[in-house]
Amino acid sequence: MSHQWLAIQSFQQSQNLLDAINTLSIHLKLKLAGIPDQERVEASDKARETLSSFLEKLQDVIHKTEQVKATPILGVDSRLKQLAKSFIAAKDNRRRFHSALFTKNICHVTQLLSSTQEKNEKELVESLAELRVLIQEHIHTDASRILGEV
Amino acid sequence: MRSLLRRSNTSLLREIDQLRSVLLRRSIPQELASYYDWVLAENDSLHRQALQNLRDLSLNRDDTLDDILSQTQNLTRSFRLYDERLTTPVLRSLPSDRLCLRIVNWLHSLHSQTLHIPTGLSDGEFSIWPEPQLPVVYFMPPSAQLGLLYLPLFFHEFGHLLYAYHKPEMDDLVRDLQEKIAELLQPLSQRDDLHTEDQAKKRNVIVETWYEWTQELFCDAVGFVIGGPAFIKAFSMFFLMLGQGRFNLPSDQLEQSQHPVTWLRIRLLAERSRHLGLMDEAERLEDDWDTTARTMSISEDYYGFFEDDFRPFIQKTVNDMLTEASPYHFTKDDVAPCECNPQTSTPVHLLNRAWAVFAADPNCYDDWERQAVQTFLESSNDCNVPT
Repeated sequence: MSHQWLAIQSFQQSQNLLDAINTLSIHLKLKLAGIPDQERVEASDKARETLSSFLEKLQDVIHKTEQVKATPILGVDSRLKQLAKSFIAAKDNRRRFHSALFTKNICHVTQLLSSTQEKNEKELVESLAELRVLIQEHIHTDASRILGEV
Repeated sequence: MRSLLRRSNTSLLREIDQLRSVLLRRSIPQELASYYDWVLAENDSLHRQALQNLRDLSLNRDDTLDDILSQTQNLTRSFRLYDERLTTPVLRSLPSDRLCLRIVNWLHSLHSQTLHIPTGLSDGEFSIWPEPQLPVVYFMPPSAQLGLLYLPLFFHEFGHLLYAYHKPEMDDLVRDLQEKIAELLQPLSQRDDLHTEDQAKKRNVIVETWYEWTQELFCDAVGFVIGGPAFIKAFSMFFLMLGQGRFNLPSDQLEQSQHPVTWLRIRLLAERSRHLGLMDEAERLEDDWDTTARTMSISEDYYGFFEDDFRPFIQKTVNDMLTEASPYHFTKDDVAPCECNPQTSTPVHLLNRAWAVFAADPNCYDDWERQAVQTFLESSNDCNVPT
């Protein structure tokens, strides 16, 4: 009766997010360069939905964490809480994180996800790259727990 | 970087294809057929992802190299998970897996959410991977797979799967319980000093710990309502002789713990048994643990992580979670003191019968079990669902 259930759920969520970030990022970069990428249109639409729904959930946990530092975070698993804490720490680290996701707010990036304006798409690509850094750091713990080390 | 990525993806393609040819040579029991189909389909999916990465590289764009690198790392992790964990139920499959898989498949067939999920069995400590996007893998120690006595512990693991399929509603119920516990932990009066701040932090840790603990207690309750007495006997026997940490943990270890102390889980299971009229079973269960604790001079203390006034709120929350998930509930027939009828009895009856025979005469148990398992596996009616 080990605690693998949380590690595998958290691992899979991060894998899905990274896949969504990469798919959308490649699609937007090709689009901005004027290269047709018809085969990825459907996948990139799905990626926008995945990211939007995740950011909404993360925003909720971050809001609770920031608003009431002296009270516990309820109804949330420890891995998502850890990710929210890493996000808050990243907002204070302007040397590493300077995209709109960390300098403005999550709602702004959620709006960028549904925009087709070139300026917004460029801004979104920067935010996606920095969100990827955060998720890549986060997935390492779960991957080590599930796959172990050599 | 481009040539490095091309090499990595080509190498992954080679490994994916090699593994496919090994998988295609395996013969598997019928009970593993849907899992085997998933494993082959996933192999195709990994193959396609590697080809996509190679196609993206062939566009020769420097600005997408960071994305392709991340996709290659993602694919590598997915492949490692697949190679090291998800193919194992197929590659290690044994004729003896049929028993566990038949019981798990029967259980899954009772719930609409789990009806069509491919299910595999692997070696390890009791656990489950309840991720809706993956097939379900149940892990179990090899010796426990060979007989009937510890199979009821699967029902606890099944609880994690039910939680995953009802997560938003379950999380809401857990949040309500955490709020209640936070309220109960509030001191009547507070000073404004460092000690008060430390106490507040400790209370927060306790309340947050109850997120994971509640899920475990829900899974214990799922195990009990499905398996009945067989579950509590298996649970108790499995943990009772694992030492002091099953009875008492220091406060700093409780802060890191993902499961409540086993003695507390026993208390709550005993209460649930009494509620269903299983008085003797509840008494024997608690007596075994109390006697062992006394011999080890251990007193019951949960260092504020559990107080008696939490109890009604915990049990009510778990009851509400059971209502939400609606697992199979053992019937009178499942605990009847008669031999199983291969045509009409459920696997739960078989497991309860096993514990009854074992308790009556452990020396004769092995012969009985061998015959009972053979009859169960030969039965054409593998999913006796009560109407």
